[in-house]
Amino acid sequence: MSKRSISRLGTTRILAASSALLLTAGSTHAEDLKVWSGFPEMAPFYERVAAELMQQHPDLNITVEAIPLREHEKRIALGVSSGSAGNVIIELANSTATRYLENELFNPAPAPVAEFVTGDGNFSDFFSQGASYQDTVFGVPLFRGQGALFYNTDMFESAGLDAPPATMADYTDYATKLTQRDANGNPEVSGWSLRLSGGGQGIAEKFWINMFQFGGNLVEPAGDGKWQSGVNTEAGLQAFNQYVENVHAQKNVSVEMPADAEAFERQQTAMFIRESWVIGDIAKKSPDLNYATAPLPRGSIALAVNLYVKAEGDAESAAWEFTQMANEPEQLNWMLENIGWLPNRANVDYSAVIEKAPAFAAFMNYPADYEFFTLPAISPVEEVLSRVAAALTDAFADESLAGNSEAQKAILADVDDDINKILKREGLLAD
Amino acid sequence: MLRHRKLLFALAALIPVLAIYVWVRIMPIGEILRLSLHKWDIISKNKPFIGLQNFRELLEDDLFQAALLNTAIIAFGVLLITIPLSLGLAALIYHRTRSRFAGFYETAIFIPHVVSLVPAAMAWKWIFDAKLGPLNAVLMKFGLEPQAWLFDPVLSIICIIVLCSWQALGYAVLIYIVGFKNLPHSLYEAARLDGASAFQAFRFLSIPLLKPITLYVSVVTLVSGFNVYAQAFVLASDSQGAPGRQVRVLVMDMLENSFRNYRIGYAASEAVVLLVIVLILTLIQFSLLREKGGKSQ
Repeated sequence: MSKRSISRLGTTRILAASSALLLTAGSTHAEDLKVWSGFPEMAPFYERVAAELMQQHPDLNITVEAIPLREHEKRIALGVSSGSAGNVIIELANSTATRYLENELFNPAPAPVAEFVTGDGNFSDFFSQGASYQDTVFGVPLFRGQGALFYNTDMFESAGLDAPPATMADYTDYATKLTQRDANGNPEVSGWSLRLSGGGQGIAEKFWINMFQFGGNLVEPAGDGKWQSGVNTEAGLQAFNQYVENVHAQKNVSVEMPADAEAFERQQTAMFIRESWVIGDIAKKSPDLNYATAPLPRGSIALAVNLYVKAEGDAESAAWEFTQMANEPEQLNWMLENIGWLPNRANVDYSAVIEKAPAFAAFMNYPADYEFFTLPAISPVEEVLSRVAAALTDAFADESLAGNSEAQKAILADVDDDINKILKREGLLAD
Repeated sequence: MLRHRKLLFALAALIPVLAIYVWVRIMPIGEILRLSLHKWDIISKNKPFIGLQNFRELLEDDLFQAALLNTAIIAFGVLLITIPLSLGLAALIYHRTRSRFAGFYETAIFIPHVVSLVPAAMAWKWIFDAKLGPLNAVLMKFGLEPQAWLFDPVLSIICIIVLCSWQALGYAVLIYIVGFKNLPHSLYEAARLDGASAFQAFRFLSIPLLKPITLYVSVVTLVSGFNVYAQAFVLASDSQGAPGRQVRVLVMDMLENSFRNYRIGYAASEAVVLLVIVLILTLIQFSLLREKGGKSQ
């Protein structure tokens, strides 16, 4: 071998070594990834998944940023549209995600992830379709918001009630029996806590859940991707009248009373309808509370929350890996037991958790004919709900509506007009 | 030549400041005007020009009209409470300047203005609480009916006016005290020699002489009244379902349209309406107070 060829070999070796070094250096360069959640209680779950993934990839740095939902939605709107979000895994309800998917702002799932979402019986069609847009998978289903009745068993016993209400008529009867009143007949402990005030779309969502029990929907599909309001119907009137009757006629609850999970945990209400996260909340804040849960008369909302990815390069691969690791059986059981949100994955055994916390049974072991609805995946869904909520808030406080079905119908007709006007503006209203 | 140089120097000195002013003040207003003429959804790729369509929609929007009405009631309510009350308090404090408690009076009045808005609003939320609040406890002590302060459509607006006035008062009093300190003593001495009482001196000297101050304070109070948001938000906020009646105000409606409904163009048209209203009101205040204030001096 000549000196020249030895030198050439040396140069080649150096180049190879340098390339290897560069590649190694490249792979050890820390990859930053964020997880954006709109549910602060979910932070420990994501941190747990992140810790495990970071253990497998020491060069990966994942930070979890879980903030209240409305702020979360604002940061997505600003961060994603301006491109300043960076590499991020975004937790979002599929109804809200639609407008981002319409504008191609989230990454489509790679083939193995799409296969995980649609195949192997991992998720029912309801969830896998909810994570897709125009037959392409964009999200990985994680958990859902599903309602059930929470009731205080001590208060039920005191009122001589030995089973949860089975029909919506029962709800009002039970509420009347359960309400604890002062000397003037005003409620001190509400028989049934209803969402009557506050801002945001929650009031409309809760109304929709009750309306669904009467067989109706706030917004209904009309074929060909078109929709129409369903509020000015018999079901809408029955649900609305039930609110008015409980607030103003029976005085089972008042607008200014403490409400929701907080009131239930403090024994300021006997029953209310809410999602499964309340089980975890009660375990933390009021572990001695005697309560049980029951399915609703007809069915429930199932608001699917998915994980979406907005990332590039290695961070994108890591993000998709994260979404699948979050769906491992061990992680999902931990989430159910410690956070209380219901996992969407079907082929996982949750019986150990349900055995420990029987309150989950009403959410997981519902009747065979139990029905579900979800928010429509249309871009103006938030606007529709916000406007309905604003109208309902005023109406619930109006005592003159008690027993006046004509006035109630007039309000529902106005709400109906508002919804259809929004749908028309967006080209979504059925003819 | 020297004059030309001086002019150039003045221009060179002014241009950076003017450029910054145009960048941070004029351009955003121009941008808002531009956005208001487009169907500008925050994340959509298509942002078509739609002329005055957003403004036409505003005319039929019940929520916007409710927000406009509530905001106007709050802004004028705060103005009507703050101006006379702060003028009266400033006069009392000024005439007690030699008192050893003068510092305490000034501080006590000014503190609400420097207290952070959110904790202050939370404290007021507790005061107004229908079940646990001290206000209802006092009413009941006198045999009166407790009120649902934060839930009644009228009372909830009054609560916001009270909270905003409580905060605005300190600043207004401080500005009025500065005004009082700059009034010429000779006029008051002359008035006293002419037999004017303290009230007459206040009524016929202080109030007219303080018109420029009143102009400034009223413009600032009215503009901040039209920008009310955090007070309405906090008084109606809660972690869960029993928060209080959400009093819809303009800024809240804009935020909802921008970030909940993703309709930036529509929210921009609301901002334009707010800008026009505030501009008109400010011009009216100037025309009512400045000229006469100038003459009175």
